[in-house]
Amino acid sequence: MPVSIVVPQLGESVAEGTVSKWLKAVGERVRKEEPLVEIQTDKINVEIPSPADGTLGAILVPEGTTVLVGTEIGSLNASGETAAAPVAASATASAAAPAAAPARAAESAGTSRAATAVAAPPATQAPPAYASASSGNGGARGSALAPAAPVFTGDRNLSPAVRKLMREQNVGMDEVGAIHGSGVAGRVTRDDLLEYLKNRTRPAAAPAGAAAPAPVASGPRPGFMSGATLPAASGAREEVVPFSRVRRVIADNMVKAKHTAAHTHCFDEVDMSAIVALKKEWAPRLEAQGIKLTYMPFFIKASVFALKEFPWVNGSVAPEGDAMILKHYYNIGIAVGRDDKGLIVPNIKDCDRKNLVQLAHEVNDIAARARADKLTLDEIQHGTFSITNAGVFGAVNSAPVINVPEVAILGVHKIAERAVVRDGAIVARPMMNASIGFDHRVVDGELAVRFLRRICELLEKPELLWFYA
Amino acid sequence: MSTLTLCALGETPYRDGLRLQEALVRARADGETGDWLLFPDHPPVLTVGRSPSPGALLATPETLAARGIELFEVARGGDITWHGPGQLVGYPIVDLTARGRDLHRWLRDLEEGLIWSLAALGIEGRRVQGRTGIWVAEAKIASIGVAVRRWVGYHGFALNVHPDLEFFNLIHPCGLEGIHMTSVAALLGKGAPGLEQVRVTTAGLLAETLGYDATCWVSAEEAWEVAGETIAVGASASNPHAA
Repeated sequence: MPVSIVVPQLGESVAEGTVSKWLKAVGERVRKEEPLVEIQTDKINVEIPSPADGTLGAILVPEGTTVLVGTEIGSLNASGETAAAPVAASATASAAAPAAAPARAAESAGTSRAATAVAAPPATQAPPAYASASSGNGGARGSALAPAAPVFTGDRNLSPAVRKLMREQNVGMDEVGAIHGSGVAGRVTRDDLLEYLKNRTRPAAAPAGAAAPAPVASGPRPGFMSGATLPAASGAREEVVPFSRVRRVIADNMVKAKHTAAHTHCFDEVDMSAIVALKKEWAPRLEAQGIKLTYMPFFIKASVFALKEFPWVNGSVAPEGDAMILKHYYNIGIAVGRDDKGLIVPNIKDCDRKNLVQLAHEVNDIAARARADKLTLDEIQHGTFSITNAGVFGAVNSAPVINVPEVAILGVHKIAERAVVRDGAIVARPMMNASIGFDHRVVDGELAVRFLRRICELLEKPELLWFYA
Repeated sequence: MSTLTLCALGETPYRDGLRLQEALVRARADGETGDWLLFPDHPPVLTVGRSPSPGALLATPETLAARGIELFEVARGGDITWHGPGQLVGYPIVDLTARGRDLHRWLRDLEEGLIWSLAALGIEGRRVQGRTGIWVAEAKIASIGVAVRRWVGYHGFALNVHPDLEFFNLIHPCGLEGIHMTSVAALLGKGAPGLEQVRVTTAGLLAETLGYDATCWVSAEEAWEVAGETIAVGASASNPHAA
């Protein structure tokens, strides 16, 4: 049974690796978890263990070649499930083991001991200062990062040798706590522990409490445990729903977006009076032509104009993360929610060359086809900027996630009458919050704020498009 | 994030240091011990990582033999480098799973710790994009080369404190031609801190940068014992504070 050997994930920022050394030859036996190949990226070299027992079937990528993470670099002929397989594997294991543990080097015995006078660092000075200084952020980072609890979470004043002895002799933390330490600041030393163990009465074997619990006696159940009160076996309280292909892509993209772009957000508000009036006047006329007019074409128009004024926002970060690619075309993505089918962001091409009516038509068309799963690949690629309308379902504000590798996304929201002050009087106006999510690696805060303000201005005074666009 | 155990190994032949590292990597991967930072004092030695550049070794085998310099090929990243007296070599044996298994981040974290350590000594170290290590102006002061086995990092960094920089003429360090190496002593002149002081400073600041909330110095004997190996003859620096 052939098993692929692929370059594994080596970190969020690691896109590729170089095959630095094949540790086995084709046809050579290898056991599961035994180092099989080494991959290098930057100045770090990592051993990749074999995914299974078997023999190396093929080397597809030779040493010195750089490939993307996820690339298949070889294949393994996994052992069948015959009874002999484990035996063969362990034989390989014992043959490989000596290499890792070289015999005590005779020459080291001849090495001078003259340098033993090198004084050890003064332990009493350094550690306390750093311990107190870093405990705050260190703790926070630790809890955020550590997926698997470290084996040692216990008393930090115990040296590794003491901990090792504790493990071997099954000594609990409570017991050690009771020992009067003779080390620095009362630290329990290995000698203290050995002394304690001499007089210890508690057996080194498994603690008494570990005995298997007695089986529960069978017999008639009490009335309150009768079937009627137990949850029905069929009505599970939890359910596992595997990710669909689309959900997997969304999940990957979102994580990638959050990990690569330096997400930052800022917020503004728009008096939508002018646009609301325009839409009110024009919607019935377009309706007559079979075109439903929403607010989205206005948002696209305003965005395109602002993007032309701030070209740095219309582009993407190069895959290497070291260059900005400026786009001189305006393909504006629209986030389309599709209930159970999942979010998708198709884009409308060359929005700068289309009038509002065309845009209205295309928005309807592309959203309908997105919901019907009838988009072409090109329609979800090559976007330059995106807009998401969280107001459809009533949100008044949002911090949208950038559609990477783009560098910014506009969030628009519910338009509602709010009390605002105009000329010293409180009046009701159709107001909308607008937000921008931007990649702070390339878009500075000032640029983002000015860009967003410009969009808001264009929506408040659409006649600006007349004068300047 | 728990304790970083620190250990000044004293004079340690390169092959013994490698043996200790590999044993601790196994113990760390099996969850038998925590994270370590070892400081060996290596006699002059040349080591070649997994991306050797042809022609980076300038000396002939005869020259090396005459000067008693051994050459090791090791499974770390990087090119050829020199280790020897006057250099602070640090081997962090660290579980990278707890750090999100991000290899480049680990390199950047090590650089960050070294930059802070140098700053504490009054030296402004910097990164150079695409050239892992620490640079002061245009000269290199610290090299980094790491290996990973079972998601435990080992090998590490070498910071030039007051080595005889002449040794670097045997090679193109890191395979970079025309590279200029510098040291703490060369930069600070009279009154520059010695290896001991740099070791304590670096250990503390590296531990802090890496997010440990405590450090603990132990003796070389203890390190060898935890590793389950018999102590190497050369490595027997004693620590008065240890058990």
